[in-house]
Amino acid sequence: MTDSDLADVWRREAPHVLAALLRKYGDLGDCEEALQDAAEAATTQWPHNGLPDNPRAWLITVAARRLIDQARSETSRVRRERLDAARNPQVFDGPLAYDRDDTLRLFFLCCHPALTRPSQVALSLRSVGGLSVEQISAAYLVPARTMTQRLTRARTVLRQAGARFDMPSDNDLPDRVSAVLDVCHLIFTEGYARTSGEQLQDIQLTTEAIRLVRQLHDALPEHAEVSGALALMLLTQARSAARTNAAGDLIPLADQDRTRWRHDRITEGVALLEKTLPRGHVGRFQLQAAIAAVHAESVTYEETDWLQISLLYDMLTRVAPSPAVTLNHAVAVAMAHSPEAALAMLKPLSDDPAMSRHHRLYAVRAHLLDLNGDHEAAQEQYRLAARLTSSGPEQRYLNSKLSS
Amino acid sequence: MKYVILIHSNPQPWGHPTSDYLDAHKALPADVRARLQGEFNQVMTELSANGELLGGEALGDPTAARLYRWRDGDPLVSDGPYSESKEHLAGFFLIDVDSQARAEQVAARFSGPDETVELRLLMWPGGDDQ
Repeated sequence: MTDSDLADVWRREAPHVLAALLRKYGDLGDCEEALQDAAEAATTQWPHNGLPDNPRAWLITVAARRLIDQARSETSRVRRERLDAARNPQVFDGPLAYDRDDTLRLFFLCCHPALTRPSQVALSLRSVGGLSVEQISAAYLVPARTMTQRLTRARTVLRQAGARFDMPSDNDLPDRVSAVLDVCHLIFTEGYARTSGEQLQDIQLTTEAIRLVRQLHDALPEHAEVSGALALMLLTQARSAARTNAAGDLIPLADQDRTRWRHDRITEGVALLEKTLPRGHVGRFQLQAAIAAVHAESVTYEETDWLQISLLYDMLTRVAPSPAVTLNHAVAVAMAHSPEAALAMLKPLSDDPAMSRHHRLYAVRAHLLDLNGDHEAAQEQYRLAARLTSSGPEQRYLNSKLSS
Repeated sequence: MKYVILIHSNPQPWGHPTSDYLDAHKALPADVRARLQGEFNQVMTELSANGELLGGEALGDPTAARLYRWRDGDPLVSDGPYSESKEHLAGFFLIDVDSQARAEQVAARFSGPDETVELRLLMWPGGDDQ
């Protein structure tokens, strides 16, 4: 068996093994450590002895033994108590089956409210996604040491918060699901906003985020916002190949070669939306997906149904208002109605201290002034936007708008 | 969001931590120095424990630097310091934090008398196509 076979089995089984251990022993830090030991044992033994008949049971047994050994050798009383379940010197006797609720429990544990967003992201990729620390740190362009610290800290916080591997109450459930969706969306945007697109080093975060939301969708097939988030990601990722040129620079939506969009993704995203939208409550992910679908189904930029997009942004403003939504709404209003109306929408944003240092406010205003024929005023706004952005490709794009 | 925190200073003699070689810092009452040191240690521990610290280095004496300027199609080498100004780049820290507010909070803790702390955003290779 090759290294990549081993990696495939590992990624498929790791979350299941972790869930089985957590169900019995509870503490994420201890269970992850035991899982790591089991992985090392598999790496040395499987290539020699061949793949076990039931790799999952094999991994669980080895990991559970490590937990038992650890509990026996521990002298700290607190730790011994924590590992109380493991003191029982029997081989793992918990259920091997993995049900959809295990996926949810694992997600909820990794996205526990006591954790910061970056910790939730790191933990979800590690524990639900089964990625290695090296893969996660490479994807986020941070040293492996930093990522290890993030994960260690996150597990300590979970321990201190008394977080358990169980389902939240019905009361808490909506907030907990929406935290998981936010985390998946954050992973997606981190990957999508990278111009290196398909060649993102080692793993592709957009694919990873879609994989995670698919798991969530399998566990909660009737959840409209989960379907909406999956549709949004599929419809957005469909544009990937068309959004950068050979030099790796950004191609704005207006100039993309739409024949290069992934139409299988678009079909899947639209189908998901059509099944979801008529069901009642419409959340922000469904609305954003609906907007992405209008773009996706428009054969050319000129044919874009801006009136519909503008109406969808109206609804989005009511459901989930934010400066970013206002900026996108303004662009749609400029196309559907007039640039003057759109410029007026930006006025309140200038008074927001957080937005006054944000490059997109100036980039959008510049675009609207250009549309309105006021090229001189647009130049000043492009200059401000270029100065404020931290994105290299965006800075090159904005600089290209400046007539020297 | 990634930032670099640049420490501009002029310790005499050049040395690290810079505060040990700055008159203005040494003139502070002992309890104030202890408090500043404690706060600095605390923020470093915090950055490290949170997984916010990407790295950092202390730089050598700027007068020992070598400078390469372009002259008649060739590099012309001379000795440092590069800058005519009172302070020189003495060291840097790379951080990865959640927000500009957190970056500012951290940078403020690196500040001390007779030094300038500069917080700069790192450019990243991505962007939005909207």
